[in-house]
Amino acid sequence: MFAFVKKPQSAALAFLIAGAVWFVVGALYGMVSAIHLVAPEFFSNIPFLVFGRERPIHVNTMLYGFTGTMLTGCGLYYLPALLRTRLYSEPLGWLSFLFWNLTVASGPLGFSFAYTQGREYNEYIWIADISLMLAVVLLIYNLVMTIVQRTEQQLYVSVWYFVAAFLWTAGNYPISNVVWHPSTGAMPGLIDSIFLWFWGHNLPGLLITPLATGAAYFVIPRITRTPLNSHTLSLAGFWFLVALYTHIGGHHVLQSPIPNWLKTVSVVDSIAMVVPVSIVVLNLWLTARQEGQRVWGDPAGRLVMGGIVWYLITCIQGPLQSLPYLQRVTHFNNWTVGHAHIAMLGFGGYIALGAMWHILPLVSGREIYSQRLVNLQFGLITFGLTAFFLVLTTAGLIQGSAWHNGETVYRVLPEIAPFMISRAASGIFILGGSLIGLYNLYLTLRQGRELQPVELLRAEEAS
Amino acid sequence: MKMTPALLIVGALLVFWASAFIIVGIPSLTMKETPSEIWRPLTAEEEAGHRLYVRNGCSYCHSLYIRINDWDIGAERIAKSGDYVGQEPAILGSERTGPDLSQEGGEHPDDWHLAHFVNPRFTSPISLMPSWEFLGPVEIRQLTAYVQALGLKAADARVARQRYWKTPAAAAYASGLDANVEWLHSQVPEVWRRMPNPYPASEASLQRGKRIYQEFCINCHGPVGDGKGPAFRYMNPPPLNFTTLRRHLVENRYIGGIFYYQIMNGITGTGMPYFKKHLESEKIWDLANYLGVSFVGYTDANIDPRGIDASYEEPWQNRYPQPGQEGAGTGK
Ligand code: HEC
Ligand code: HEC
Ligand code: HEM
Repeated sequence: MFAFVKKPQSAALAFLIAGAVWFVVGALYGMVSAIHLVAPEFFSNIPFLVFGRERPIHVNTMLYGFTGTMLTGCGLYYLPALLRTRLYSEPLGWLSFLFWNLTVASGPLGFSFAYTQGREYNEYIWIADISLMLAVVLLIYNLVMTIVQRTEQQLYVSVWYFVAAFLWTAGNYPISNVVWHPSTGAMPGLIDSIFLWFWGHNLPGLLITPLATGAAYFVIPRITRTPLNSHTLSLAGFWFLVALYTHIGGHHVLQSPIPNWLKTVSVVDSIAMVVPVSIVVLNLWLTARQEGQRVWGDPAGRLVMGGIVWYLITCIQGPLQSLPYLQRVTHFNNWTVGHAHIAMLGFGGYIALGAMWHILPLVSGREIYSQRLVNLQFGLITFGLTAFFLVLTTAGLIQGSAWHNGETVYRVLPEIAPFMISRAASGIFILGGSLIGLYNLYLTLRQGRELQPVELLRAEEAS
Repeated sequence: MKMTPALLIVGALLVFWASAFIIVGIPSLTMKETPSEIWRPLTAEEEAGHRLYVRNGCSYCHSLYIRINDWDIGAERIAKSGDYVGQEPAILGSERTGPDLSQEGGEHPDDWHLAHFVNPRFTSPISLMPSWEFLGPVEIRQLTAYVQALGLKAADARVARQRYWKTPAAAAYASGLDANVEWLHSQVPEVWRRMPNPYPASEASLQRGKRIYQEFCINCHGPVGDGKGPAFRYMNPPPLNFTTLRRHLVENRYIGGIFYYQIMNGITGTGMPYFKKHLESEKIWDLANYLGVSFVGYTDANIDPRGIDASYEEPWQNRYPQPGQEGAGTGK
């Protein structure tokens, strides 16, 4: 009955499919949240669709469910492929899949009924935290054993990022979620915000970033059919990332009464983040040099390269908004929401989608049902996200400047109303993109032309 | 340098844990939990409200700390780390779709909060906050207890003031329409009671007043100013019926200054909030003209005593006659 769990690459495929499903779920919750910021009386007084509950469902489903799950699926394929072996254990992979997705499902199923710890990015209740930890630990074991049985001596940079993402998460997640306080998942007092934002920042920085970077390092050279520009640079990028990113959670509570030395560290290291980011972007850019046609001409490659562009924008914006003087205006408002979207959907999401479309034929043995639908997805999401970024950033500047100028939050509400309407409207494009993706994925698995073993081999060897 | 599995695993973990020690380890060892001057523990009911606040995601729209550059509610006190002792979690928040609530306690009396939680638009017509009616009366009471405790000892002082004034305000309302208005006006300082609205009730001014009324007042005082907006049934005393004020002009002439003072300052103990943070001076005078013209049928704009007309004022004749002198000409 459970024979399917032994099928090679079945766990990777399962992660990819789940990612595409969660993308739709997350987008639906995002859509309702956006509508509620325009019309709070829409679906009013429905407990499981109240803004304070649906927003964290949206955020967590997108982070862990869509980007996290899909990028993990990609890694479960490329890590063994790069090491010229098979995943150590498919059933273990499935077990991770089960625990991981139980945690993600506890968002819509639990938060809707107020089963949440309520701390941003650490909302999952204790038992779901444990489930996620189990998934991560099993993944680590599986990956390390895969490395042990490898037939390729060299560890390519994607392998480091993929393994390290889980090594870091295994330490980071339980600390920040204060798992030793099961009922609240929190520390008493102000220090909680330091614990909270340790993960709050490292979830993007030490989970999504390495996963996405690893996937991009895998896909781009394959599409351009050129070797990676520089291994030394990728080494430097890797070590700078973990050395700097871990220190900057404090910039999320920069204006709160946390100790000044922490604020200083977080600001200085936020600015220093320019270094690892430039390294990654440059290294990939130089790899694709002269081969732009191939990358931008390939529907999956376009998504991955688009993700790198968003990464660059995010990480120019990030250090700027960590400057205390600037943050007086940009903090607490939609500016940050704009940043979060280009980071999570633009950087994490684009690369997840691009890598997924690139890898899907390799794990399913079927050709993508429609490359045009992939292009349509790229177009829809790019339009929606660009609009999001412009609209939310503008709304944020209006709010921030008005408040700074002494206007009350209530009074500024009518000023941002047109922006909230445009934001909800742009959301339709992103939701559309997610639906088309799921549709295309479904048809690929049902109707995609089966690739001959030779074709598959040739595809695998292309790297 | 070549990446071997050992270097990857040991190195990545070493750097990570070293950073973790700096960022969460050292603060855990050095940050002291010293209560600030406003700190006190939460009562059981407030604690229950805090759980509700955390579990229902109030924190996605409200922050709980005041910064040095803030102006809105609570800006009197910049947050200190000692304000959060023992709170688990001290949920600071990252977005302000609604105002900061760290000093919310005592801003309003309990009946305002009841109406507001049932449907925020009842008290704040353009609010984006969701209705929490589904929580039911018990949980709404706990939430109210919690928000009334925000600000701790500083909040207690404000809540006590609300409670103190609630009794005479409710008693005045119970003693009849006219006695209520007399009581209300007796609380307004003398200088304000004989101050006419210095600004003309021009068409533009009335239009502005109307817009502000719709954004801030309409669901309490009602579209026709009779005090029967949807918040009516939750409040004691309920929102004032402006139409009765025609009988209560001071010396049968003045009302603008009373309007101004009440709108600016609010009426502590009643649901009537203060608007001095939301509205600048001219907007309040516009509102006063709008209330007068629309609901009282009279405004004292531009009557004596007055100083030198403001430089930008158009020539304007008050054509609203005093009560009892209708048809007697210009009303001047
Ligand atoms: C969608 C965002 C949103 C959510 C979620 C939300 N609020 Fe609000 N809240 C607002 C806005 C906007 C205002 C300002 C307008 C108003 O008074 O309703 C506000 C105002 C308030 C006020 C009145 C502040 C004042 O003017 O004195 C209180 C108290 C309050 N909220 C408590 C809560 C509590 C408790 C929760 C959770 C149960 C909550 N809010 C959830 C948006 C939100
Ligand atoms: C949350 C409900 C509420 C809102 C919103 C509200 N009021 Fe009131 N208002 C009241 C209550 C309650 C009273 C006092 C009734 C009493 O004590 O009998 C009152 C009294 C007043 C008075 C006192 C009149 C007098 O003669 O002393 C004025 C003026 C007034 N409101 C104007 C306004 C204006 C203008 C706005 C909008 C900017 C407004 N109110 C918004 C509830 C509200
Ligand atoms: C150089 C890199 C970066 C720096 C210095 C940086 C800086 C910041 C700062 C200062 C904030 C807080 C803004 C505020 O609250 O006022 C923030 C928020 C955020 N960042 Fe970044 N950022 C960077 C890259 C990224 C990346 C790569 C991601 C995701 C993959 C990301 C995801 C987020 C998210 C989701 C938030 C919102 C947090 C919230 O809910 O308040 N950031 N970032």
